[in-house]
Amino acid sequence: MQNNSWIPLFPEQASSFAWQVDLLYFYIIAVCLFFGTSVVIAVTWFAWQYREKEKFATPKEIHGSNVLELTWTAIPFVIAMTIFVFGSYVFFNLYRMPADTMDIYVVGKQWMWKFQHGTGQREINELHVPVGRKIKLVMTTEDVLHDVFIPAFRTKADVVPGRYTYLWFEATKPGKYHLYCAEYCGLNHSGMGGWIYVMEQRDYDNWLAGNVTNQTPVESGQDLFQNKLGCASCHQETNQGRGPSLKGIFGKDQKLTNGQTVSVNESYIKESILNPQGQIVEGFQPIMPTFKGQVSEDQLNHIVAYIKSLSGNTTPTMTSSPAAKTPTAATPAKVEPTPAKPAGSPNPSAPSNVKGGK
Amino acid sequence: MSDTHAHDYHPPGLQHQFEDMKQQEESNIIGMWMFLAQEIMFFGGLFTAYLIFRSKYPMAFAAGSNHLDAFLGGLNTLVLIVSSLTMALTVYYAQKNNRNMQVIMIVLTMIFGTVFLGVKAVEYTDKYNHGLVPFATWNKKTKGEAQAKTEAPKEVKNFFASEGGKAPAGAKVEEKHDYINPTGQFQWNSQGESNELILEAQKGNFLTEDEKIGYFTNGEIDQKKFEGRVRIFFWIYFAMTGLHALHMIIGLGLMLWLLIMAWRGTYSAQYYSPVEISGLYWHFVDIVWIFLFPLLYLLGRHFIH
Amino acid sequence: MEKVLEVRDKTKTPELNYLNNGYSVASWLLTKDHKRIAMLYLASVSFFFMLGGFFAALIRLELMTPNSDLLQAASYNRVFTAHGIIMVFLFLIPAIPATIGNFFVPLMIGAKDLAFPRINLLSWYLYMAGGLVAAYALLQGGVDTGWTFYAPYSTTFSNGWVVVTGLGAFIIGFSSILTGLNFIVTIHTMRAPGMTWFRLPLFIWSHYATSLIMILGTPVIAITILLLALERIAKIGIFDPAIGGDPILFQHLFWFYSHPAVYIMILPSMGIISELIANFSRKRIFGYEFVAFSSIAIAVIGFLVWGHHLFVSGQSIYAGLVFSILTMIVAVPSAVKVFNWTATLYKGSISFDTPMLYAFSFLGLFLVGGLTGLFLGTAGMDIHLSDTYFIIAHFHYVMVGSTVIGYLGGIHYWWSKMTGKEYSEFWGKISAMLVFIGFNLTFFPQFILGYLGMPRRYASYAEELQVLNIFSTAGAGVLAIGMIMPVIYLTASLFNGKDAGDNRWHLPGLEWRTSSPPPTENFYEPPVVTWEAYDFSDENGLEPRKELTKETV
Repeated sequence: MQNNSWIPLFPEQASSFAWQVDLLYFYIIAVCLFFGTSVVIAVTWFAWQYREKEKFATPKEIHGSNVLELTWTAIPFVIAMTIFVFGSYVFFNLYRMPADTMDIYVVGKQWMWKFQHGTGQREINELHVPVGRKIKLVMTTEDVLHDVFIPAFRTKADVVPGRYTYLWFEATKPGKYHLYCAEYCGLNHSGMGGWIYVMEQRDYDNWLAGNVTNQTPVESGQDLFQNKLGCASCHQETNQGRGPSLKGIFGKDQKLTNGQTVSVNESYIKESILNPQGQIVEGFQPIMPTFKGQVSEDQLNHIVAYIKSLSGNTTPTMTSSPAAKTPTAATPAKVEPTPAKPAGSPNPSAPSNVKGGK
Repeated sequence: MSDTHAHDYHPPGLQHQFEDMKQQEESNIIGMWMFLAQEIMFFGGLFTAYLIFRSKYPMAFAAGSNHLDAFLGGLNTLVLIVSSLTMALTVYYAQKNNRNMQVIMIVLTMIFGTVFLGVKAVEYTDKYNHGLVPFATWNKKTKGEAQAKTEAPKEVKNFFASEGGKAPAGAKVEEKHDYINPTGQFQWNSQGESNELILEAQKGNFLTEDEKIGYFTNGEIDQKKFEGRVRIFFWIYFAMTGLHALHMIIGLGLMLWLLIMAWRGTYSAQYYSPVEISGLYWHFVDIVWIFLFPLLYLLGRHFIH
Repeated sequence: MEKVLEVRDKTKTPELNYLNNGYSVASWLLTKDHKRIAMLYLASVSFFFMLGGFFAALIRLELMTPNSDLLQAASYNRVFTAHGIIMVFLFLIPAIPATIGNFFVPLMIGAKDLAFPRINLLSWYLYMAGGLVAAYALLQGGVDTGWTFYAPYSTTFSNGWVVVTGLGAFIIGFSSILTGLNFIVTIHTMRAPGMTWFRLPLFIWSHYATSLIMILGTPVIAITILLLALERIAKIGIFDPAIGGDPILFQHLFWFYSHPAVYIMILPSMGIISELIANFSRKRIFGYEFVAFSSIAIAVIGFLVWGHHLFVSGQSIYAGLVFSILTMIVAVPSAVKVFNWTATLYKGSISFDTPMLYAFSFLGLFLVGGLTGLFLGTAGMDIHLSDTYFIIAHFHYVMVGSTVIGYLGGIHYWWSKMTGKEYSEFWGKISAMLVFIGFNLTFFPQFILGYLGMPRRYASYAEELQVLNIFSTAGAGVLAIGMIMPVIYLTASLFNGKDAGDNRWHLPGLEWRTSSPPPTENFYEPPVVTWEAYDFSDENGLEPRKELTKETV
């Protein structure tokens, strides 16, 4: 659509219907300016022209005029109706689901977004979508109300526990856009967001396949950590994130919530990715989802290599090292393709089984 | 300012802010109507909740409704209608300056009101005994072993069969009811009956979308879920009748006050607006019941009877 | 030589008024005089306004930086909830009706008091009880649900003092119902002889419309809060989806009251502005009947538009359309009011005293607030704007920009009547202008923030939005100074203010035809009304007063 980056203080347009919303916006602004300025000019003019010239004067009485009243009832009414019609047209475009969509399943949870692509690929707080495809988000939540809000796409919709809601968009411009939770959901509401990555179809296919070429294990791990799996949205450089910082932990001891102490080695990291509820670092909530079935053994090794590199340990991990080498790898080494099922259970009452979140 | 009023005739009961009795009466009556408008909106919230949830879970509501005693409900309806008559007569005799009849009618109204509350208490006790009070642990606690529960449904079904006409004609089935509820939780023991209802509705394709989700787990009827939905019915039942009963109690308090004042001969053809506005209140409370009775006791009975 | 209008010769009649008629604590706390109850309300409402303002200041300070550094997310959530609950339930809803309305409804219709003085006092006690319960909950750790209490967060997940706060709101609700009931009855039955419906000042019409909403809307929120509390305590399954309930039902019930509640806040303010514009232009309001009935129309249609808060909640899109068109329709009566106010200025004799500055302020801010409502009532536009700072800016323009400005304008306008003293006109004008400038500086940037996509209730936000947030916080500083100034110079006027005379601006309204401050029974002689509303002509309106005019040096 048209380039609007020249307008100051204006959000980027990146979806097929964003220009309609913006056009509607400017139309209403024009109406407001018309009424606003006419009233302000009239008030200013009258206030100056008819300012008090004699203390407690008695100006001539004017009772009113039915013609005028009808005029200024009818005109705003008609204009309001044009806004209504235009607005409803846009409303239908935004909220009526088109037929040929690519479905992505979304589950909101205090305070993260879980996405699952049709191919089974899962993401946390990040969503990769191809440009020029109609994407339909099939959304529900495990706990309270949330709301998917993507300002660049000019659309949002509440995510309601116990039922599915839907949101569709067609991204038009590759790039990285804000994703917010717009419905107040408790303590970390303002942290419940992330990014939408809009990619060319080819890049998206590549991303889905997990194909990364010409990268060292560390680079590949970094890519997985920061972009593809979105680990970095929780595991930040400092301990401010929802998960502990992974900087400089390799080879050190970690205190766990259950009082034990473990030493951080390859097997601990792998175990934590595949079975995160097992060993929770002290001071953090057991909120990390499992990545079992989403990462291949190779990718796992790349992530380990990257985390090691955060501690200045540059010894490359052997990319082919089988998991069985590590004593605690009780996890299946084989990657099983996840069935293309919704991220939650298909039964909308599923959230009823999930209690708590506190 | 006092001297401007010194020569005014000041009838008994006229408050200082009013010019005359007519103004005061008008104010009282409009005030009471406004109060009743407020009351309608207050009950309106509950009626809305009833409406929404009945249209979501009609079968659970039918099952719950079937456990209310329509005879006692009907009796109470009759009692309240008669009490409205005696209330209207109270106003009539006040206008006629007839103190004795006034007092008699107030006493009659109070008797009917008390009968209503008594019947209500009987009904509540019945719910308490059968584990149908939806509040946690507020039911009758009875000792029993968990395995005895498996047999309970059959007998409970017999118990309801005595009303439902499923028992052999002429042979009155003894009300035998092994009730086991060690913790006093809400209990729904009529699985047989509710399953029948759900299956019937499923056959006829009457289940609502919410029911398809709300009664089943993986295609099987989930008794726990159904119990939860019936519990919603009983919450609404207790909230509505409880709020209504609270209004009845306040009404009885008003009647007591009226009785004392009438006994003293306060009210006359010139001054009876307290009687009139109390009457308005009493009639309003009756009318609420006229809506509650069919909604809670009668709607949905035909599914079973 | 200046003409000071005096209703009575002070040298002859002893000066007994509602203020000096008893000084004991009991004479205030057990009073049945609507004027004293209004003063009790004025003090308590102002107190809660300061408290709410304190929380607002904390919010703005926190939002000066993108990270949550001044307040952690947990405290920030409690702070904005406290701000919302205090401002909505304890300030905005009672602000004008319970203080200025309580004082002037009987005076303006020529009654001795409200119809039910004891109920009036009861309503103040309920207000205080509810306020203290809510304040107790805040002290104990607060609530973090937002003032909207959306289920299932409030019923199941929040660990705040939801039930206690809800109880507070429940009690305050009944205070509001009783006030509304009292007004309706009083306006119906207590009008002075000759005071016909179409001679009523527009202040009274707007209070009539407000009272209708109070009576018909407030019980719904009461029962909703009751159900919410039951859901939280006993898990009744009405709102919690995990046990079969419907969280959207809560939103419907909540907004069925809370949208009309916006009109409870704005209508009385519109009434005050009608008074100010007519009286300071010294002209009958243009199209009196249309202004009067537009209040009633707003009150009635206002009950049918609640669903525009649920455009993005998952309600049916066809329901969305219906609510959108009704919202567009409710905009029309507001527009009619603005046009009539503008036309009233035409060929008037306009003076620029402090109250009139507030009226001009109101016109400007209400224009912005009302017109931005068009964006939000348009379904297709609201999807992008809902739950962003655009909403925040919009409703602050309506609630602060209109209600608070109307409230301040009213207080200044009737200050001389309520206390008999004149405040400093100089400081009054300065503070009126500071409030206007500070307000715009605070909230206009928030429209832009909203369109850029800054969601509301965020303790931390994207860094690129910081500049606008700093503007907003700076504006809030100016606004705070503008708001604190009236407290100082109005209080000072009580001690060293000039004697204002009974009719400071030579106005025809009934409230100006008694002494300042008025006596306990309001009038020395039962008034008889022979003139139309806002009749400034010598023959009708002012003639009876002329006899009472005396020359003073």
